[in-house]
Amino acid sequence: MEPRVFDKVLIANRGEIALRIHHACKEMGISTVAVHSTADSDAMHVRLADESVCIGAAPASESYFNTAALLTAATITNADAIHPGYGLLSENADFAEMVSEHGFVFIGPSADHIRMMSDKITAKHTMKRLGVPVVPGSDGAVKDAAAARRLSDALGYPVLVKASAGGGGRGIKIAESADDIGTAFATAQSEAKAYFGNDEMYIEKYLGRPRHIEIQVLADSHGGVIHLGDRDCSLQRRHQKVLEEAPSPALNAEQRDQIGAQVVEAVGTLGYLGAGTLEFLYENGAFYFIEMNTRLQVEHPVTEMITGIDIVREQIRIAAGAELSYAQDNITFTGHAIECRINAESPVTFTPSPGRISYYHPPGGLGVRIDSGIYAGYVVPSYYDSLIAKLIVHGKTRNEAIMRLRRSLHEYVIEGVETTIPLHQLLCENADFVNGDYDIHWLENFVGPEDQPHAR
Amino acid sequence: MARHSIDEGAIERLVKLLDEHGLTELEYGEGRWHVRVSRAAAGQPAAPAPAPPRGPESEQPEALATQESAAAHPGAVTSPMVGTVYLAPEPGMAPYVKVGDAVGEGQTLFLIEAMKTMNPITAPRPGRVSQIFAQNAAPVEYGEVLIILE
Repeated sequence: MEPRVFDKVLIANRGEIALRIHHACKEMGISTVAVHSTADSDAMHVRLADESVCIGAAPASESYFNTAALLTAATITNADAIHPGYGLLSENADFAEMVSEHGFVFIGPSADHIRMMSDKITAKHTMKRLGVPVVPGSDGAVKDAAAARRLSDALGYPVLVKASAGGGGRGIKIAESADDIGTAFATAQSEAKAYFGNDEMYIEKYLGRPRHIEIQVLADSHGGVIHLGDRDCSLQRRHQKVLEEAPSPALNAEQRDQIGAQVVEAVGTLGYLGAGTLEFLYENGAFYFIEMNTRLQVEHPVTEMITGIDIVREQIRIAAGAELSYAQDNITFTGHAIECRINAESPVTFTPSPGRISYYHPPGGLGVRIDSGIYAGYVVPSYYDSLIAKLIVHGKTRNEAIMRLRRSLHEYVIEGVETTIPLHQLLCENADFVNGDYDIHWLENFVGPEDQPHAR
Repeated sequence: MARHSIDEGAIERLVKLLDEHGLTELEYGEGRWHVRVSRAAAGQPAAPAPAPPRGPESEQPEALATQESAAAHPGAVTSPMVGTVYLAPEPGMAPYVKVGDAVGEGQTLFLIEAMKTMNPITAPRPGRVSQIFAQNAAPVEYGEVLIILE
């Protein structure tokens, strides 16, 4: 009863996720088209894909953000569908619309839902309306500093001033008291205008020591909606996730089931299609919705390891009109998974370290997974983000996963560029981490200011 | 690779002439090829060496470049975009250029169609068309060598 899935998918992304998508396609018998910039001609997924098309010069604006080139490449290769990966154009509603208008299937939700969730105020209103708990704050946009002051006084400090057009941690300023709400509002607003071209602001209560816990969902076009459990992504530096794990050490099964059910209900009512993730702040037993990501997430592998489900495969099937392969009753969570994002950066100062990888040896063995396109001789380009590999381990228990992680990190060799492997080694030896006792501020406190790294 | 057929008979005759007249070296040429036969010092065998041809109408014994090797050629003109390349203004019409043509800077060489618009691809400098890689109605990618202008 498998409907005809696509013959050919164009992968509109690069790096490790492009290879991930290629893997899923090939395992479904789907041909792949890799589009790439001149800097990525030797990328592993380009080498492996059935076809490749160079779409532009190295700067992402000329290649990976070049909508015309992407659509033309899909046309000349006769692709059926386009997978946008994460980042880049994956949450660009206009792109999703153009893909459809040109006769290709966009592997993701509708442009309307992308648009809805890109506007953080609308997203929050929508979730609130659907019965999902949200962070207390302004009811919609805050007009000016005076309104910000009144609202924040009532809400109680500290507060966060946030850009409605922001996301991923950008366009946020904290105000500790009535004294700095004025400045915080003004600064945040001018930044928002500069970065996003939109200075609409809203305000949220600043939670003291929350964890970042997110719920993965899948929804098909036949009314099927399921959740695949939670991920704890509290270990962040400058709002960028560094290490993720599933399930969260902070939740019990009952809490997981409860928030999962609430999320499934909301997503079902919305009529959402595809994979999505609802991100929450969690504190003192309560969940507070902050945003929804309408795409595949970087950290999806930890969910795959504990559920045994190929999320990219499900995305492709859903986009082709198939029913979900699973009902909620079929979903079980087995063991524990941890993912380390390995960046080509100094593990101390986080300065990017592009260059040629001279020696490469990945760890192996039971329960070890590497999502990466790098190899000995590969040149990490300077034009894109610094993520070069994800090391994911799975164990029957969290302790087993941590032991496996320590072993794997010590075995992993990447020479020629600096990497954040040493940072991950410190993390998995740290008592707080081992105890699962951390929140969203923990990692920044651990690494300290970059010009005065803690003695280690 | 381009190759001159070796006239073994001619070389034998030259060697014989060398011997008969006690010469050390004898060079003979005709048109675009030359042969030199020389008696090397003590015991080393002589070897005929075809000299590279020179001439006003010149050149081109060099192998034609492949599209991959042509990327390094100084006269290579590469595609500035992804699309479908057309050699003529419209189907059935004569192509914009052919091998041997002299072109001026800014002269249209091809059209590349993308997103339903036709984009003229023009010569970045004057030159003579020595090789055309673009095939009519074929897909091209960014950076692909379309033509060599020398």
